[in-house]
Amino acid sequence: MDPKEVFMKYIIETKGLTKRYGEQHSVADLSLHVRPGRIYGLLGRNGAGKTTTMRMLLGLTRPSAGSIRIFGQPMPDKARSVLPRTGSLIESPGFYPNLTGSENLRIFAILRRLPQPEQAIHAALDMVSLPYRDKKLFSQYSLGMKQRLAIALAIMHDPELLILDEPINGLDPIGIAEVRQFIRSLCEERGKTILISSHILSEIALLADDIGIIDQGVLLEEESLQQLEQKNGRYLHFTVSDARAAARLLYTRLGVQDLQLVNAQELTVPGDRLDAGRAVEAFVQAGLTVRDAHLCEDTLEDYFKRVTGGEGIG
Amino acid sequence: MAELFVYTRCEFAKLKRKPLFLVLAASSVLLPLAFALFLSDPPDSETAVIQSMATMIQLSAYLVLIPAVAVLASHLLFAEQDYDTMKNLACVPVGRGMLAVCKLLVLLLFAVLFMAAGALVTLFLLLCQGWEPAGYWPLFAVCLGQGVLMWAGALPCILLVVLLNKSYILSVIITFFYTMVNYIVPTALPGLTAVPLGFNAGTLIPGALSLRWYTPFLSPGEQPPLVQMILEHAVSTPAAFGISALEAVFWTALIAWAYRRQEA
Repeated sequence: MDPKEVFMKYIIETKGLTKRYGEQHSVADLSLHVRPGRIYGLLGRNGAGKTTTMRMLLGLTRPSAGSIRIFGQPMPDKARSVLPRTGSLIESPGFYPNLTGSENLRIFAILRRLPQPEQAIHAALDMVSLPYRDKKLFSQYSLGMKQRLAIALAIMHDPELLILDEPINGLDPIGIAEVRQFIRSLCEERGKTILISSHILSEIALLADDIGIIDQGVLLEEESLQQLEQKNGRYLHFTVSDARAAARLLYTRLGVQDLQLVNAQELTVPGDRLDAGRAVEAFVQAGLTVRDAHLCEDTLEDYFKRVTGGEGIG
Repeated sequence: MAELFVYTRCEFAKLKRKPLFLVLAASSVLLPLAFALFLSDPPDSETAVIQSMATMIQLSAYLVLIPAVAVLASHLLFAEQDYDTMKNLACVPVGRGMLAVCKLLVLLLFAVLFMAAGALVTLFLLLCQGWEPAGYWPLFAVCLGQGVLMWAGALPCILLVVLLNKSYILSVIITFFYTMVNYIVPTALPGLTAVPLGFNAGTLIPGALSLRWYTPFLSPGEQPPLVQMILEHAVSTPAAFGISALEAVFWTALIAWAYRRQEA
């Protein structure tokens, strides 16, 4: 590692990254910041521009505008020095169907000039729980096995940075849990920086340290998971016999000005500062029936819906 | 140079268990066996060697090797597109231009080995029939040379295949016509191709150039007028290989350019 890189703030940094296909913007003015030793989850619906962004980062697609720096070096100009330090899985796994998993990896181990190719292949296959020197051809692999092999290829040369596009696609629930744990261990135990994309919100919530929300090619939010959780809306929800009367009471007796009537029986009070016990007491004293009172919190999905202004995802 | 070797080695590895490659490789051995059935009884060993090697050099090279190289090229050059592996290669990173050159190098080795295998099977058949291999080894070298010339000759066809971007039917039609032009024109129209070296059909059509190069090796003594006409405009080995090398560089550069244009 270059001594300058020890103090590097971002492993990946893009400025105004844009990709146009004709008149259509696939990615627009995207500024991404991936910090070293962290998992960055790029979250978005199908077709939001996640894959295009990753392809541009890897030099597979030329940007229409903007700049990319990986390890502080401009891409794609410095691809020859950046790519050997990067492992990637883009879209569906692509391998030669007439070869076995080990034979496929051997081709890439030779191309990457790994000093001990067989050891590297063996270790990579072990990590993703695939057999070494198995006779099964890639064409006979299940979707889950193909995905595992693609992950093995991405990690075989022990890269510092991993760019993984929807890595859990095609995996069964146990496989998903294994890969999730594996990705976390790569980051926590081996200090890898990981950029992972997914349209499955729960996965990103479970895996990522930092989250970028992309929609229609635009990066809408970029925060740490912690910050996002803090920003998630909290509110008190009451179900009473008369919501209007309850609202008046809250205003006159407890000074609550900011509240929302949901319907004739329900109302919400943003934030969690109001003492719910006092509110219920006031309602009961005024002769109102209280059926339900509880503190609600937006999930990441609610937040995603709010930010993207549309329906939720996975 | 090391890069070239590594890439070429990997290209060979990709051919493992490829039915098309196995069929083509097998045909290099089986074709001479088939040709042997149609040979007339030669009067002596020298004639036996010339007859059987001429069949190899003419039929095997023109009618089988050119289309085989073109078909295999289409397979090799579109393997990455078919199996979606270009993104993995590009992330190594492997340059597309260099990759195309290595694929052509694999085809060159295939062409030479195809001819070598055929020539060795022919030798085996000659020995089995009790003939002395009189004058065989110079013709073996001509066979290898013919492999190189046919490879260079197939390059324009390969360029069209790349430009058509995997339209198999068109590729097959083009390969068929290209093979026919190379085989028929030089022999059917000697007036057009038996001409001095220059910017003409006799020099630029690979089949014609090759015919004018190998004919002297297969035509000792008195010859019929058609062969005599070709012999009068025979091309020396340095001239034939020099022209082919220039053409190969030109076509290889174009193929690499066309291949680079495809997105990973």
